[in-house]
Amino acid sequence: MDCNEAARLLEPYLDGELDRDAARALEAHVDGCAECQAALANLGRVRHALRAEAPRYAAPASLRERIRRENVATASAPRVRPAPSSWMRLAAACVGAFVAGAAVMHFTQGAGDARDQAARDLFASHWRALAATSPVDVVSSDKHTVRPWFAGKVAQSPRVTDFADQGFPLVGGRVDYVGAARVPVLVYRHDKHLIDVYVLPADAPAGMSAKRDGYSLIWGTLDGERAAIVSDLDAGELARFESVLTASK
Amino acid sequence: MTAVASSAWVSALAEENLDAAYNLGRWLLGNEHDAADAVHDAFVRATRSAHTYAGGNARAWWLAIVRNCCLAALKTRKREVPVMAVETIVEANADTAANDVESSAEVEERSRAIERQLRALPVEFRETLILREIEDLSYREIADVLEVPIGTVMSRLSRGRALLQKALAPRTPEGDLHGL
Repeated sequence: MDCNEAARLLEPYLDGELDRDAARALEAHVDGCAECQAALANLGRVRHALRAEAPRYAAPASLRERIRRENVATASAPRVRPAPSSWMRLAAACVGAFVAGAAVMHFTQGAGDARDQAARDLFASHWRALAATSPVDVVSSDKHTVRPWFAGKVAQSPRVTDFADQGFPLVGGRVDYVGAARVPVLVYRHDKHLIDVYVLPADAPAGMSAKRDGYSLIWGTLDGERAAIVSDLDAGELARFESVLTASK
Repeated sequence: MTAVASSAWVSALAEENLDAAYNLGRWLLGNEHDAADAVHDAFVRATRSAHTYAGGNARAWWLAIVRNCCLAALKTRKREVPVMAVETIVEANADTAANDVESSAEVEERSRAIERQLRALPVEFRETLILREIEDLSYREIADVLEVPIGTVMSRLSRGRALLQKALAPRTPEGDLHGL
């Protein structure tokens, strides 16, 4: 891929509109191209300005009331109650966080699950990794190898612990993109299942758990930082992994 | 769909997406009063024409009606009164913005700057950016709302982002970006 082609794909990539192969190819190019990295960072900056700083106006109560009255006037049928979480959704939608300086994790609650950009990014990243030749960039079950490997690749190396004793041996680590942010990923295994742990900054907003095509996303903490856990493990085992991870010292 | 069922369906749809509709209205029309009126009109129209809904993304269908009502209001207003100056609009919006998550004067200042720049964009770029970045619609959904091809959505997003990036450039010093 050359820079011209990459430039065309940067925005669809950021918008989550590229398929896995195209995204992977673009990342391979961006990894080795300072110019495209800068372009992606600039796009991330514009996104941050729009998502975290531009106001999103909430419908005033008076408008809600007008719509309600209109509804009573036109239909006598019992109304279908929408989820009463509009304020929560507003609050969630207003909050964006600048992750690793380039991308925004955008969370909405309620009906917006399918569009939850962060969840989409995390699933996409996990699937890309599974489709790649190897899901890890550094293969090691030794935490003393994995942690230093991250140094210099990401702003902060995450704490690395092997949970082999609890049934979740450490496989290795990689650096991956979530949206436009480069984040450290710790990879664990349980039987034949791989578990990706994305370590996000502590100030990243709390996300919601999500399910897609047999894969689950749940959230925990690792050493005070937010950890997004993606795997095709069954819910019970995944919850156990989350408690092991969060409890680790 | 029966008349009663479709009316209930539109109500649920509109209430679920009332903030999205109102936000779009505010960005297109500027002030609270006009935006609320346009959304109200849109709701009445949606209720009447629910039977014309031919499947597809319901949220995009609803937002398309809201947008059409806003554009109609814009047209009427252009004939009647001069559009409020951008500064006045920003002033008027300050109260609402303060209710959100702003905590420090600096955050508020940045928020006002981005708002000013966004309002200064031609409407076709502004609405596309609002739908993508603030309402988080996909390309397909935006195309449905704006009734244009996806290629047009992409070029408007690209152009809008480039304009905004240029306008914001001096305001985002490198120092703000940790980890890059």
